[in-house]
Amino acid sequence: MSFSDMSSQAMMEQLPLTEPVLLILLSLAGQPRHGYSILKDVERMSDGRVVLSTGTLYGALRRLLDDEWIERFEERETSRGRQAYRLTPQGRRNLQLEVNRMRQLTRLASLRAVKES
Amino acid sequence: MLAVYRTLLYLYPTQHRRQFGEEMFAVFQDVWAEKKSFISQTMTSIREFTGLLKGAFREHLRDVAGAEGEVSLSPWRFTMHNGFRFPKATAVLMTLILAGVVVAIKKGEDIANSLPQVSEPVAPIHPMHLTLLSPIVVLFVGFWAAGLIGGTVLFAVRRSKMSA
Repeated sequence: MSFSDMSSQAMMEQLPLTEPVLLILLSLAGQPRHGYSILKDVERMSDGRVVLSTGTLYGALRRLLDDEWIERFEERETSRGRQAYRLTPQGRRNLQLEVNRMRQLTRLASLRAVKES
Repeated sequence: MLAVYRTLLYLYPTQHRRQFGEEMFAVFQDVWAEKKSFISQTMTSIREFTGLLKGAFREHLRDVAGAEGEVSLSPWRFTMHNGFRFPKATAVLMTLILAGVVVAIKKGEDIANSLPQVSEPVAPIHPMHLTLLSPIVVLFVGFWAAGLIGGTVLFAVRRSKMSA
């Protein structure tokens, strides 16, 4: 088994992602963000259905940092010098894998739903 | 409210608090500042404090079991991490122990059958001793089983972390 096979297998083991984690990754896919900005963006993307607490957010961020899906850096543009987060290439690949998996599932569900009706 | 939040951050392991504590507090300040009504403040307080308690518990659990043995907490159930794998060595060891116990029981039965059935009781046994004996044995076996299960789970979690 090649290294890339092992690597993609390890990625697949972490799928499917939970909804909060998926939304956090989607939030960071567009641009780097700091904690408060991620909270607000997740709320906006889910139409207010998913409202993360800071405990949940930073638990997820810590795990994503440990798995090297995201990285942390100091935001220089702001006067507060806040920590911000952005996707790593590995994180972006994993997000793409999850989106592909969901797309396949949705296509299958649509086909079956059409057949049933 | 901010003081309560800062105090609750001490529930987290020191390393997590050092890495994220100030940042979490700053984000909570921003969240709290935009909540003006009593209802939104109450909802935010409940969500934040529940999130902190769950988060702190999860981080402590992670300290004990390691990243690969981490469990994800949903409101009503524990779900093992996808990466969790039960080590083959433990399964083999458990099978060997079971086989050993079965063989020992069979041998014991054979020996008991080969002995003449004329043995006298060694000493009179008070009825109270008999009634006490079974709860003690049950308790002992219960603790032993709980210890064995707990030990096996911890061992499995650590092994899966090492082999990951």
